[in-house]
Amino acid sequence: MIKRPPPSFLWISTLAVAIVFPLVHQDSYVTEVLTSAFLYALLALGLNIVVGFTGLLHLGYAAFFAIGAYTYALLNLHFHFSFWVGLFPAAVVAGLFGVALGIPAIRVRGDYLAIVTLGFGEIVRIAFTNLDRWTGGPNGLLGIAHPTLWIPGWGLYDFGVASLPYYYLVVGVMVLVTAACLRMSRSRVGRAWAAIREDELAAACSGIDTFQLKLLAQGCGGTVAGIAGAIFAAKQGTITPDSFDFILSVMILAMVVLGGLGSVPGAILGAVVLGTLPELLRGFEQYRMLLFGLVMIFMMRLRPQGLLGSVQIRRELLAKKSETDDASPS
Amino acid sequence: MRRVLKRQWGRWIVFGILVWIVAGCGQHESPVIKIGFVGPLSGDQATQGQDMFQGAKLAVDQAAAQGEILPGYRLELVALDDQRSPTQAVAAAKKLVADRNVVAVVGHLNSSCTMPASAIYHQARMLQITPVSSNPQISRQGFDTFYRTCATDDLQGPAAALFAVQELKAKRVFIIDDMTTYGRGLANEFEKKLKGLGGEALGHEGIVQGDKDFTPLLTKIKSRSPDLVYFAGMFPEAALLIRQRRDVGLGGYFMGGDGLFDATLIELATPEAAKGIYLTTIGSDIHRIPTAKHFVEAYEKKYGPIGAYSSYAYEATHLVIRAIKVAGQKDRQAVLTAMKTVKDYPGLFGLQNFDAKGDSLIRDIGLFTVLGGKFVFLKTASWNSSTE
Amino acid sequence: MTVWQLFFQQLANGLTIGAIYALIALGYTMVYGVIQLINFAHGEIFMVGSYLALSVLLLLGISQPVTGLGLLVQLPLCVGVAMIGCGLLGFGIERLAYRPLRQVQRLAALITAIGISFFLQNAVMLIYGATDRRFPAVIPSIRFEIGGVTVTCLQLIIWTSSALLMITLQILVMSTRLGKAMRATAQDPKACQLLGIPVNRIIAITFIIGSSFAAVGGMLFGLYYNTINFHDGYMMGLKAFTAAVLGGIGNIPGAMIGGVVLGVLEGLGAGYLSSQWKNVFALVVLIGILLFRPTGLLGERVADRP
Repeated sequence: MIKRPPPSFLWISTLAVAIVFPLVHQDSYVTEVLTSAFLYALLALGLNIVVGFTGLLHLGYAAFFAIGAYTYALLNLHFHFSFWVGLFPAAVVAGLFGVALGIPAIRVRGDYLAIVTLGFGEIVRIAFTNLDRWTGGPNGLLGIAHPTLWIPGWGLYDFGVASLPYYYLVVGVMVLVTAACLRMSRSRVGRAWAAIREDELAAACSGIDTFQLKLLAQGCGGTVAGIAGAIFAAKQGTITPDSFDFILSVMILAMVVLGGLGSVPGAILGAVVLGTLPELLRGFEQYRMLLFGLVMIFMMRLRPQGLLGSVQIRRELLAKKSETDDASPS
Repeated sequence: MRRVLKRQWGRWIVFGILVWIVAGCGQHESPVIKIGFVGPLSGDQATQGQDMFQGAKLAVDQAAAQGEILPGYRLELVALDDQRSPTQAVAAAKKLVADRNVVAVVGHLNSSCTMPASAIYHQARMLQITPVSSNPQISRQGFDTFYRTCATDDLQGPAAALFAVQELKAKRVFIIDDMTTYGRGLANEFEKKLKGLGGEALGHEGIVQGDKDFTPLLTKIKSRSPDLVYFAGMFPEAALLIRQRRDVGLGGYFMGGDGLFDATLIELATPEAAKGIYLTTIGSDIHRIPTAKHFVEAYEKKYGPIGAYSSYAYEATHLVIRAIKVAGQKDRQAVLTAMKTVKDYPGLFGLQNFDAKGDSLIRDIGLFTVLGGKFVFLKTASWNSSTE
Repeated sequence: MTVWQLFFQQLANGLTIGAIYALIALGYTMVYGVIQLINFAHGEIFMVGSYLALSVLLLLGISQPVTGLGLLVQLPLCVGVAMIGCGLLGFGIERLAYRPLRQVQRLAALITAIGISFFLQNAVMLIYGATDRRFPAVIPSIRFEIGGVTVTCLQLIIWTSSALLMITLQILVMSTRLGKAMRATAQDPKACQLLGIPVNRIIAITFIIGSSFAAVGGMLFGLYYNTINFHDGYMMGLKAFTAAVLGGIGNIPGAMIGGVVLGVLEGLGAGYLSSQWKNVFALVVLIGILLFRPTGLLGERVADRP
């Protein structure tokens, strides 16, 4: 049998390529596209915790992205929080919302949960649009400060609208989040999540505190989205509510599904593929939604575990419905 | 072995894609000068975006027909789609900035896109002329790279209010906007002036783009008996409002902004219901301006009926072409400097000049009504904003 | 107008949209009743129905209000084509996408449903264009004044046709053999199979009926608002689903009541409170019901499992 290179080797070599690539191929447009794709990858990693690890179908993920972005933006505009400081409240607030949404929905069954999260996502977006005194309404918020870095011997470096600094920022954050996700998936928490995903009732019966764990998953998911949101706001300088719509939520879900539910490298892969494709296929933007739809339909039919998902996931997705699943949701 | 490959094919896909990106983005050397164009070429504002694009294309084609733009260089228009999305607008802006052949940009259409993109063009010291983004905030950012060939909403709104109060004698007005950058901005300007003239805003509510049912809102408005309903938004919602107000029996005047200026409005609202409504436009009626005749003829011959935006795009593109010629070199800073020398440029709308913020000094607001299923031009208000 | 007149006017408006919600909600509730799946694509089927009706009208060259023969022939033709088209579409979706996943965990089916929904939206956008399309006003615009409240001929048509359809469905479900089979399948599909009831066929029929009702809703929607857009299915679908859950998912009279209640509440809310929060209001109702009373007003009538 041919020896496979250990996974850590693949991770490190991919990271090395990612670090070196924009220095070799200097094109701010390409760097921009990749930065966007990696930002999507962050979101996909976060959603993967909720949907992939724990099996909670979440259709309102864009809301946490929005909450993170607006939190940082408001803190920056009103209280002059710098990006590095504002990042933490943004992540925490988004995470708290994740938990807060999870609490009332704790006993809601799979398909109903999807609708509840969808509704929540829409409410957040509409609220941001309507509460114009606080959120700038449809105009959104302008003049959000870009991150600045104090480099000893150089002075204050403002990220501005350059592409490169954001690229490395996102890659750096991705490394941290990926490492955290990998760790969690292999830990007791991760195994407990997997148990909940496979059969919640059985998991509860074997002593797992499903309540706490489900909230934890949603909190983690929200936190990651919050971080991504703050980065997005700092990078764009302007945020408007229509950047955080249902289509974005579905797109992230499609990325996770494509890459493989529950798979950390899968989430990244799915995001890079679906995130760069629209740019590569410029001229085919109108087919974007079509593509996401087809990805989801065909993935479920042909390869439910996605490109990099585990066989375990496939088994779970194709497992017969248990009798207990159809009990009324109370 | 097969099993290994099967598990790793995902990683090969990533690799393949990266190679594809690298290969696809190679720069080719060719003696070309490009003007960038960005607008909503697909999506729900595609017709307006295409109309704007065609105006720009006409200008470029005409210039190319006259020979080389600069010795050894041919002129090209590179069009990108922002789909009305600020995020995509930023990506498109960065793409244009990264292309060394692009020396200036005509775009975008929507104020919500032009705004973030303008920061990127400014940072790259590249000239940007927007044909039709009318939100006043954009030029207040202090970017010397930003220019605009249309009037702004802080002119359009007050002009409408003036007309409503003085000519229509409508003092009790109910204001509706569509909760976009453009609509909200325009409605606020209108309301400010209305109150300044002693009028009364009975209410100011927002509607959601894409919504269809405005009968509850219109019924509520009816109970307040306004003289006029002012709507700052786009023609799909305007058409529904115009029709539904008939259904609920709401009388009085109806007035809107340049977002209504599209023949589809009359079609969707039905000519009977649309009869007698008023609207303002960011510029006068293109068919009535003698200096624009050649453009109108050329455009209609090539593309058919003129939309609301193509003339501005044409003007903007021509200004860019002039700047390139004056600069004499394929250099962004030189083109930008050349643009600043514009004085009494003989454009479509008369002699074109710009103020220090980059706004056009031609501040005509057109006033139209609808009769017999068509837009009928009433008059031009040359408006000087008192906030200057 | 007086306070009461205003109230009844808003009520009339709300009833109209409520009737359309009810028609769409029936599809959600029936499908959920038999296979316990939220058919995400159902809102898109409604939207396709309105576009099919539009296509027929364009083909027949109708753009003015029709009278006489037109009313008897052309409009039913329009409705018929839309119903058949959507029925086929619903059948196709069930057969190709849902049936293979019927026995397995719901996550895969839900994701498939979302995918179908997106696909349909985009397909219609590509075929018909992204801008609003004008739906001809083929119903003569006659108005009735009842005590200061304006009611149009079209509104009456919407009320009566939806009521008729729903009564017919209720009779079908309660009194016919097919209806009994449908109810049995909803209660216990395995037992039905043992008894020789063709479960697959029943489910297919359920989809067809639900989809064709949505098609009627689509056509009425087009007639009422005179503009249709590929994006209409999304919000309408969400609200109709709210109506279905409000009345009790799986419960057919519940869907009707839910639709009307939601429509009226929404109309009153928009009229008295604020228009821009209208959608939030419906969503809050939805979430509230799902969280606190998932069985809805009339109670959930899904399988009683041991």
